[in-house]
Amino acid sequence: MEAAAVPIGHGHGHAHGHDAPGHDHHGHEHHGPPPANKSSRVDAPMLGMLLFIISEVMVFGAFFTAYFFIRIVQGQEWPAEGDHLPKLIAGINTLILVSSSFTLHWAEVSIKENNRRGLQAGIASTFLLGATFLFIQINEYVNIGFAPQDHAQGTIFYGLTGLHGAHVLIGLLALLTVTIRAFRGHFSAHDHRGIEIPGIYWHFVDVMWIVVYLTVYII
Amino acid sequence: MAAKLRAPGLLRAGVLTLVGIAFAAILDLTVRAATNAEPLVNGEAITLVALLAAPFFFLGGLGAFDEWLYWASGKPSRPEDHSGHGATSWKDYFRVNTDHKVIGVQYVVTSFFFMLVGGLLAMLVRAELAAPGAQFVDPNTYNGLFSVHASLMIFLFIIPVFAGMANYVLPLMIGAPDMAFPRLNALSFWMLPIAGVMMTLSFFAPGGSFATGWTAYAPLSTEVPMGQMFFTIGVQFAGASSIATALNFLVTIITMRAPGMSFWRMPLLVWANFATSLLVVIATPFVAASQLFVLLDYALGFNFFNVERGGDVLMYQHVFWFYSHPAVYIMMLPGFGIISEVLAVKSRKPIFGYRMMAFSLLAIVLLGFTVWAHHMFVSGMQPWIRVPMMITTAIIAVPTGIKIFSWLATIWRGVLHLDTPMLWSLGFITMFVLGGISGVMLAIIPIDIHVSDTYFVVAHIHYVLYGGSVFTIFAGIYYWFPKMTGRMFDERLGKVHFWMTFVSFNLTFAPMHLIGVQGMPRRVADYTEQFAGWNMFISLASFLLGLSTLVFVYNVVASWRGGTRAEANPWRAMTLEWQVSSPPPIFNFDAVPTVVGGPYEYGVPGAVHGVFRPAGQPDPHAKEPAGASARADAAGATHHGGTET
Repeated sequence: MEAAAVPIGHGHGHAHGHDAPGHDHHGHEHHGPPPANKSSRVDAPMLGMLLFIISEVMVFGAFFTAYFFIRIVQGQEWPAEGDHLPKLIAGINTLILVSSSFTLHWAEVSIKENNRRGLQAGIASTFLLGATFLFIQINEYVNIGFAPQDHAQGTIFYGLTGLHGAHVLIGLLALLTVTIRAFRGHFSAHDHRGIEIPGIYWHFVDVMWIVVYLTVYII
Repeated sequence: MAAKLRAPGLLRAGVLTLVGIAFAAILDLTVRAATNAEPLVNGEAITLVALLAAPFFFLGGLGAFDEWLYWASGKPSRPEDHSGHGATSWKDYFRVNTDHKVIGVQYVVTSFFFMLVGGLLAMLVRAELAAPGAQFVDPNTYNGLFSVHASLMIFLFIIPVFAGMANYVLPLMIGAPDMAFPRLNALSFWMLPIAGVMMTLSFFAPGGSFATGWTAYAPLSTEVPMGQMFFTIGVQFAGASSIATALNFLVTIITMRAPGMSFWRMPLLVWANFATSLLVVIATPFVAASQLFVLLDYALGFNFFNVERGGDVLMYQHVFWFYSHPAVYIMMLPGFGIISEVLAVKSRKPIFGYRMMAFSLLAIVLLGFTVWAHHMFVSGMQPWIRVPMMITTAIIAVPTGIKIFSWLATIWRGVLHLDTPMLWSLGFITMFVLGGISGVMLAIIPIDIHVSDTYFVVAHIHYVLYGGSVFTIFAGIYYWFPKMTGRMFDERLGKVHFWMTFVSFNLTFAPMHLIGVQGMPRRVADYTEQFAGWNMFISLASFLLGLSTLVFVYNVVASWRGGTRAEANPWRAMTLEWQVSSPPPIFNFDAVPTVVGGPYEYGVPGAVHGVFRPAGQPDPHAKEPAGASARADAAGATHHGGTET
C-alpha cells in the first residue's frame, strides 16, 4: 500500500548498542529497519534461552532413555559388580554446584541495586564454584576404578555425567564472559539481561545435576 | 593480501579450515602420545577429530562468531550498523549475511543443489536396478548410493528448503523487519553446507561412503568403515542448524507479530512453521543423541550397543525413531502451510475451517510423539507395544484427514486459477492421499509384517515425501518465485515441468507397490528374474522424472536472469508479503503494518488483512483488498539483490 515507498530516514534508535565512539555515520548511507512490534510481554532472548533449554532437556532425555534401557529393560546390575560409586563426594559436589546458584542469584540482585562490588563478587564466586565442581568431577573419573569401555553401566555413567560436565563447561564459558564484562564495567541496574540469560542456563545446569545425581548415584 | 586474510569471508574460512585440520592432527597426536596408543599416527582418528573441529574453524573464518567473540571479550557495545544486511551482488550470498531474505535464498539454492546431487545418486540407483544381476557397481557401493541419496534428500533438501522458504516469507507475513536473532539465523544456514559437503565427501573415505541407509541402525553403524562417521557427524551439524532455525522461528512468531495479528489472524504457513518448529525443538535432540551414541561406540569403544557388555541394540531404534517419526511431520507440516496459502489464493475463497486447520497442526505435533514404534513392528521389541502404536498411528490420520477435507472444501466451487502453483497443489493433494492410504495400510500390523523392507515401503515413502513434500516445495517455489527474485517464471515451462513430473512420478513409484507386495526387498542391489520387467519400466520412468527436474532448473535460471519483472502482487493475495515490492525493500517495511482482519478473506466484500498506517486512521482504500495499489507505490522502494547478474 502506501508503505514501501520512500526509504525512511536515519535516527532509528536501536535497543542494542548504546554508545558509538568513533562510529562512522556519514561515510555511507544506511538506515535501520523499522522497530518491530512487540507482540508478547516475553523478552525475545529470554524466550530463546528457554526454548534452547527445552531442547537441552530432550538431549538429557535421550541419555536417560539409554540409562533406562540398560538398567531397567536389560535389568543390568547397578552399579556393575565390583564397582562403587562415591555417593558422599558426589553429594558434597552437589552442594557446591547448588550453592553456585545462590551466589549467582546474589550477583543478579546486587546489580539490580547498582551494587557493582556485589555483582563482581557474586559472579566470580559462581565461576569458581562451578570450576571446583568440574575439577572434583574429573578427579572422580580418575579415581573411580572403571572405564566406559568396561561395560554398559560404565558407558551410561560416563555418558550422563560427561554430558552434564560438558554443559557445566559451556555454562562456565558463558559465566566467564559475564565475569569479564562485569569487571570491565558493563551492566547496570537497568541493563542486566546479559547476566540473567546465561544465569537461567546455569540454574538449568544445576537442576539437571540434581536429577543426574539422584538417578545415577542414589537410586 | 594480509588485510584480505584478516577480513571475514571465504578466504579466511578456507585458511582456517586448514588450520583446523592441522589442529585436529596435533591434538590427536598429542593425546595418542600421552596415552601411548599404537600406532602413533592413525589417519582415521585424525580424520574423525578433523570432522568435528574443522567446521568450527570454517565458521569462525567465515565470521559467524565475530560479533559474539567481540561481546565476550568485554569490549564496549557496538551499535548495529546493518552492514551485514542485504545483498547488492552475488558475492553477498557467500558471506555471513544477517538478512533473512538473503539467508532464505541461500537456504533454498543450497538445498536445491543437494537435491540435484541426491537426484543424481537416485539415477545411479535406478541404473543399477534396471536389470537383475550386477550392472556397474558392487553391492557395497550400491548401498552407499541409496544411503547418501536418502540422507541428502532428507537432511539437506526437504527439511532445509522449507526452512529457507519460511525464512524468506515468514517475517514478511507477520510484519516483522527480520527474524528475532539474525546472527543465529546466519549461523544456522552456514552449518548446512558443512553437513552436505561432509555427507557427499563420504564417497572418498577409505572403505567407501556410509552404506547403512539413512537410518544407520546400530550395531551395524558402529562396526562399518569410517565413511559412516561422515553421516554421524554431518547429522550433528544439520540437526544443530535445524534446532537453531526452529528456535528462531518460534521466538519471531511469538514476539514480533505486527499489531493486530493475533494467533488467529496468522496465515496458515506461519501456523505450520510454528507447529514444525515445536517438533524440531523437542524431537531433533534425540537424533543428535542417537548419533552421539554411535560416535562414542565407534570412536572410543563405549558400550551403548555392545550386547556382550550389557548394551541395548533396540535402544538405538527407539531413540532414533522418537526423532525420525516426528521428522516425517517436520518434512510435511510446512508443506501443508504452503498448500493452504496457494489454494486459498488460487481458488479466490477463504480457507475452509481455518481454526480446525490450525488445531489439526497442533494435534499432529502431539500425536507425532506417540507413534514411533510403528517403524519397529518386526524389530523384535516387546510385542505389547505393537497394538497401542497401531492405534495411535491410525488416529494420527484423523487430523491429516481434516486438512485434506478442508482443502477440498476450500476449492469447492471456487474460481480456480489452474496455473503452475495451483497444479502442484492439486497434484499434491492427490498424491498425498495415495501416500496417506498406503501409510494407514502400513500401520496395520499384519500388513506391515508382510511388506516390511520391501518396495511397498519405498513406494509409500516416495508418495509422501516426493508426491507430498516435494510437490508442496515446487508449489511454494513457483508461488513465491516472483517475490523472491522480482521476476516472473515461464508459465508454459512450469506446466510442462508439472505434467512431466506428475506422469513420470506415478510411472516410477506406483509399480513399486506391486512388486513390493510380491516381495521384492528394498536396499538390495540384485533381485530375481521375476521382477525384471517392472524394474526396467521403473528405471526408464525414473530417468524421465530426472529429466523433468532439468526443465525446472532451466526455467528457474532463465527466469531469474531474464524473466519479465514481477509486480508486487501478481496473485492478488492478501497476506502481507505481497503488499511490499518484489523483491521486498531491504528492511521489509518502512513502518510495520497493522493487521485488521483474517488473511484469507477472498471474495468477502470490503475485507482487508493489513493496512500500512496506524489503526484508527481513515482508510480511503478500505473497499479494495489490501495491496491492490502496492505496485505503483513500490516502484520507488529500495530494492535489494537477487536480480543482479
